[in-house]
Amino acid sequence: MSAADDALLIQRLLAGEQRAYRELVSTYQSAMRAVAYAIAGSRHADEVVQEAWLAVVRNLAKFQARSSLKTWLLTITANAAKTRYKHNRREVLLDDLPSPHGTLGDERFASDGHWRVAPFAWHEDTPEALLTENELRECLEHTLLTLPQLQSSVLLLRERQGLEVEEICNLLEISLSNVRVLLHRARLKVFATVEHFEETGEC
Amino acid sequence: MLTCKEQVARSSDFLDGQLNVRERFQVRHHLLFCPNCRRFLKQMRLMRTTLRAMPEPPIADLDEIALRLAHEQQMFGKD
Repeated sequence: MSAADDALLIQRLLAGEQRAYRELVSTYQSAMRAVAYAIAGSRHADEVVQEAWLAVVRNLAKFQARSSLKTWLLTITANAAKTRYKHNRREVLLDDLPSPHGTLGDERFASDGHWRVAPFAWHEDTPEALLTENELRECLEHTLLTLPQLQSSVLLLRERQGLEVEEICNLLEISLSNVRVLLHRARLKVFATVEHFEETGEC
Repeated sequence: MLTCKEQVARSSDFLDGQLNVRERFQVRHHLLFCPNCRRFLKQMRLMRTTLRAMPEPPIADLDEIALRLAHEQQMFGKD
């Protein structure tokens, strides 16, 4: 959304237009939830989002177009999450969990660093074609749910919500190198899921 | 020259624009000579656009939330 779109939406919200609130929530709630989930965990994410929404409507009149509406909403969400629920997550930050279809690990490479099992051609080469397979879509959802909390949040914020890597660092207060590691691990697991599906036709 | 394994290790940073000029050049150079890694990177890109294209689950209580927020804003505006 452009700054002009943001400003228009804010005006409609301040005027109390019901449809504008519907638009606001449906456009931004999933990004807000991903931020809340990353910081506060699954048990508290929904509470944090509710609390953030209240802070948003109470401060609507104060929104200045210095940042985009999305950045503003996500910052409010991150603050709500940090104030109430920030765990001491330093030790668990880079913990990893096995994924249903594994990852693209060392076993794929020979000792000289060349592929031992090279990537093979996939049947489909567009997202639309891949997603027409319901089973693959469900399989991907399943893999996303099994990722560790921060891996999945970082992946969702980057790929689904289109945030820049640096924005993710700032919101979640995670170093750039850690965000890069989290993103890479998450992507390789999702990659392994698609590859497995393309190979076997099953989840 | 980078090995395939090293190329894979750098692939996310390559896609996110997180490599410096030299590292980026090394990846490009490797890709030039390695069809397997070109395929891998193409599939990584496809996987990313697929995630982006995945439909979001609908928000179950959307109308209710919208109503509550509109109400809250009106009440708050009166104070």
